[in-house]
Order: sequence, then C-alpha cells, then structure tokens
Amino acid sequence: MKRISYLLAFLFFTLASSLRLAAQEATEETGDVVLKTAPQNKNAIFKSTEEVRYKIQVSNKTNSLQRGKLSYLVTTDEGKRVFLDSVKLNLKGKASKDLVLTIPKKATGFYRINFMVNLPDYDDTVRRVFGVNPEQIRSQLHKPADFDTFWKKSRELLAKVAPDYRVLERKDLSTPDKKVYSVEMHSYDNLIIRGWLVVPTDGSKFPVHYRVPGYVVTLKPNMDNDDFIAFDLNVRGNGNSQDVINIGTDNYSVINIENKDKYIYRGVYMDCIRGLDFLYSHANLGIDTSKIFVEGGSQGGSLALVTAALDKRVKLLTMQVPLYADIHDGQAISASYNQQVFPFKVFRKYQSLHPGFSWDKFYATFDYYDPQNFAPMVKCPVLMGIGLLDQFCPPRCSMALYNHISSTNKEYVCVPNSTHEVNFDYFMFQNLWLREKFRIP
Amino acid sequence: MKKNFTFFLIPCLFIVLMLPLKTFAGFPIGKYRNVVVPTFSYYHQKDRFDDKDNVIKGTPGTGFTSYAANLYVGYGLSRRLDFIATIPYLYQQNTIAPGNTLVDAGLGDMTAGFSYNLINFNYVRFFSIGVSGIIPLYKSVNGVSPLGLGSYGTEVKLMFCGSLPKDIAEKGYFNTEFAYRKYYSSQGPDQISLTTSVGYPVTKHNQVSLDILLYRSFSSNKAYNSNIFAAHDYSFFKPQLNFGHTFTRKFSLFVGGFYVPFGVNTGVGYGGSMLAVIKL
Repeated sequence: MKRISYLLAFLFFTLASSLRLAAQEATEETGDVVLKTAPQNKNAIFKSTEEVRYKIQVSNKTNSLQRGKLSYLVTTDEGKRVFLDSVKLNLKGKASKDLVLTIPKKATGFYRINFMVNLPDYDDTVRRVFGVNPEQIRSQLHKPADFDTFWKKSRELLAKVAPDYRVLERKDLSTPDKKVYSVEMHSYDNLIIRGWLVVPTDGSKFPVHYRVPGYVVTLKPNMDNDDFIAFDLNVRGNGNSQDVINIGTDNYSVINIENKDKYIYRGVYMDCIRGLDFLYSHANLGIDTSKIFVEGGSQGGSLALVTAALDKRVKLLTMQVPLYADIHDGQAISASYNQQVFPFKVFRKYQSLHPGFSWDKFYATFDYYDPQNFAPMVKCPVLMGIGLLDQFCPPRCSMALYNHISSTNKEYVCVPNSTHEVNFDYFMFQNLWLREKFRIP
Repeated sequence: MKKNFTFFLIPCLFIVLMLPLKTFAGFPIGKYRNVVVPTFSYYHQKDRFDDKDNVIKGTPGTGFTSYAANLYVGYGLSRRLDFIATIPYLYQQNTIAPGNTLVDAGLGDMTAGFSYNLINFNYVRFFSIGVSGIIPLYKSVNGVSPLGLGSYGTEVKLMFCGSLPKDIAEKGYFNTEFAYRKYYSSQGPDQISLTTSVGYPVTKHNQVSLDILLYRSFSSNKAYNSNIFAAHDYSFFKPQLNFGHTFTRKFSLFVGGFYVPFGVNTGVGYGGSMLAVIKL
C-alpha cells in the first residue's frame, strides 16, 4: 500500500509543480535599474466607475543606494495632460520595491501613461496606454450623402469586367498534403490581380480562410492551414499583382488621392470583392461557399471589413489593427505625435509637396474610403484584435470603428503591450473562435 | 512600416499548434460542440495481490472477466463549461470455483456532471475542474455478481492538460487528472486516483499514447472481492499503451492494452480497450 501512496504523492506534486511552471512568465532583466509595470486589469481596460491601478516593481541591480522619484503622467490620446503624480524612491543596493499606483477614475477613452524614473544613475520612461469603457467610444460618421450610390456604381463597374479566371495547379509548390494553385483574374478597370489557393488533400470540402493583404505586402501560399482552404489575394500593387501598379510604400496610399473616382482604393476594395467572386465560382475545388471567413491585419483588416460590409457572402470577419479606421480622429491623434508615423506621415508628406491639397480636399476623397463608414453594413460575426501601443491605428479609432459595426455578435481582444500587431494568444483565440462559429470539430 | 510585415507571419502559426486528437480529456470541448466516445473494454484476472502487495496464485479454473461498453458524451455549453456524462454497460463472469460461474449484465454506475476550465495558459495548456454525480443504474447489489457499489457518489476532479513543453518534444500532448470520489454509504469507499497520459503523433494520422493510472480506494470493508466493480478497499497501478488513428477530422479510433503490475487487495488484471472519438 505504501508504494502506491508514495507514487500518488509523487505524481500529485509533479502535477502541482508543472502547473506552477506553466503559470510563470519568462522575464529578462537588463540594466542597472529595472522598472516593470503591469495594469491591475490584465488587458489594461478599466471601467469609468473604477480607479485605474498599475502594479509597479522597481529593482535596483546596483550595489549603491538609489534615491530619487518615480513620476507618472497621464494624458489623453491627443496629448492633453489629465493627471500627474510621483512617489519618492529610496532603494538600497540590490533592493527592489513594489508599488501600486492609483489614478483617479477616468472618462471613456484611451489614455497614455508614462512612468518616469529619475535616479542619480538612471533615467528612463516606460510608455503604456490604458482604455476606459472602450465599448462606449462614439465617433462621428463622415459619410458622404452619395456613399451608397458610389459603391453600388463601383460594383456595377466591376460586374462589367469579365473575370477570365485562370487557375493553374503548381505542382512545384504542392505537397502530398496540400495542392497549391496560382489564381489569376481580371478586376476593376480590367487590371489583372493574382492570388494563391491552397487546398488540403485530406478531405473533399473545406471552409475558406480568405486573407487580404497589409499595406503593399506580398502574400504567398499559406501552407499551414489543415482545416481550411487558404485563399490569399494580392490586390493591385501588392505581391504578384504589380503588372500595372508597382509603387513603393511611400506613395501607394496617395495614388490619385485628389480624385475620389480614381483613388487607388476604389480598385483595391473591388479586388477584394472579385476575390469572393472567384471563390464562389470554384466550388468544384472543394470550397464550401457557405463557410467563407475573411481576415486581414492593418490595411488587410480594413480590406476584410470592407469586403464583409459590401458582400454578404462573407460569413465571418476577423481583423487586426484595422488601418485608416475613423480617419478624422486618427488625424487629430497623429497630430500629437512627436514624430509622424504611417499613414499620416505619407498624407502629410503629400500635402507638403502639393500646396493647396487641404484636409478638406483629403476628406472629400477619403470619406468614401474610411472603413468606419462601412462598419454599419457589417452584419456577420466579427472578431477584432488591437494593440494598445499602436500609433498607426490608434486604439480609439479601432474601437470607434468596432462600435459602429451593426453586428451584435462581435468581440474584441486587447493586447496591452503590442504596437501595430497583436500577439500569439490572439491568433490561438481566433482559431478557437472560428471553430466555434463554424462548428468545426 | 516594418511592423506591418510581422503580421503575416503570426497567423501561419495558429493552425500548426492545433489541439491534439484526444480532445475528450481535460481539454475544453468548445462552445456548441459535441464529443461522443464509445468504448469497448475487456478485463480479466486470475491471480490477485494480497494486502502486502504479494501475488497470490488463483485457484485453477477461477477468475473474473468483464466486458464493458461505455458511452461518454460531452457538450460544450460555453467556452469554459462542458456537460459530461458516462453510461457503462457491463457483462461480467465471476468464476468463484471451477464450474461455478456467476454472471451478471446491465447498466453500471452512470456519472454525469460538469467540467469548468479555470485557467487557460495561452490556449496551449488548460487547468480545469470537473464535478460529477455517480448514479447506480442497477436496482440491487445483491445480484450474483454486482455491477457496482450500489451507492450514490460524487467525484471532484482536477485536470491539467495541453501541449508538451517544446523543450521536451516539438509535438505531442499530456493530460493529468487527480480525482477524489466519495460514495455515500456506511462502508464508503472514498477513492483517489491520478491519471497521467502522454500522447505523441508518429505521423499526421497516427499517434501512440501511454496512460498511467494510480488508484486507491479506502473503506472499513477490507474484504477481498474478485469483482473489481464491487470491491471496497484496494489499490493498484495500471499502465496502458495505446495506438490511435485519425480517419477524419470527426472520427478517430484508439486501441490499447493494459496490465496491473502491482496492487494491494486487488486482481492482477490485464486487458484492452478500443475507443472511438467522434466529434460533432
């Protein structure tokens, strides 16, 4: 009996130890003084009825006494100061101090918080962002009166272009588990666009992961999807669709920006619809047309949203850090940056080179393309991921867009320490979310 | 702008790290989804362990044999909460003396309850708790060879499962369960068990797995009972080796064999099982 008791105890402690290990986070500490910050709410999202709290740890790695202060400054996401406080630090050599810093309740919105350590041998600032009631964020829609007519007309023009699909099996890229096809079709303005279709060989019918690209990003065959057909479309000017438009990242978003009818994104948005046309007309390749989800990050996030808004054949939408969302507020937020970043860096540069191209003229075109104006047309389930430190797509703008989405079946994931990206956990969750929505075993 | 490009690398990872085949263990089933696992198992014993862990040879011509068909049903009520139920059907032959075989057959102890995922570690590992009720589906324990202990009971189970750490293996999964079972009768018993399973895919469709079960049952009734379903005070260690094949995303089949190399006041058992995992 003893032998089994010992074994039981041993295995139980092994289980407990492995659990403890799994809970530990890997940390890497460098420098003489280390400042660690963690929001009390893991996703850094708070309610307006609660105080905002951060857990702070300051570690003195030196042997000498460090005397100074830790200040924390809270500003709005447009840089307006709303709170400043500080605590004294008195750290003996090799000592550390744990603090909980409290910021009074805040109104709905996103806030920047800078933690500044000032010690004799060390000065540093850690920049973080937290949100308050993000689902309450409201923004004004700047939707032109003829917005719907404009896009109806665009679709009619697209429909007049015969797709002339060409599907070529690429045996050189295929594997025993996946068949790879290069796909070519004619789109808006009769431009040729291309993409990659990867079909698992282990089955006869699959749901589809339709991915649209980031800003001038080359999409290649996605070989990692065992349970979905992967369709990766390079819209005009991206990847292998650069026959006519082949321009770098510095100018892509301003091609014909002074003419709403000829702006680059009119064709780009229609390319995404043409990609759906392709999927619907090729069910013979094992495509389950009742289960198409469209996905993208950054520009791809907005393209995915626009596709789902304009075409109800999309059954699920997943997007990360959607670019250009709520472009008016995006401009105001970007104005507070010390250094300009994409996308307003490109727009401002264009303005500086084209005197007379005012913001009014910019919006006369861009209001037809702001993804936020498409959001009310999205009726399918939606998952969105955002990074709170994102300056390209400020979280307020992403949430404003999200809150305009008509679908009530929507969720968002907030990654506090990410910039213009989400993290691995998001994609693990997205995978489970898709399986749940499509009832995939 | 560089950050834009990192975007398209991450999604490539998410299918590679899919959950393993054997999703009916401590893994959350998933909202609105079902898992059905029919199992057929065979158990036989001739010899037994005494209360000092010594093997006592059985009288020639005696032994205990059980054939069991088990139906496990799981339904994902939410992302964290699953309903689970198990219904066994038993057919057993207890040969207590040469030429004297007691036979009984029927439904055994049903367990039904809920499993709740307490912590998910980055969607890679999961720590869950399960609470179930045990309901005897047979009328009496006074049959010729009882189909169970004949008492209502409760089981509380802690489960930790997920992918194997990358520094141990690139692929594969593990599942560990620590369970406490209490039967509501004067003689109990109270039971604790610890199950550890490790599975490793050898090809895209095939896997091998090893289950190790440690079981201890406490009771004031110390009498040896060759019928393992009706025994009260005993313990054993049971390793089982399995082979699994995935036919489709919805259907997998496992076959395995086990042996009891040591135990106390129980049989020196061996046997095998075949189970199908049907995901709906």
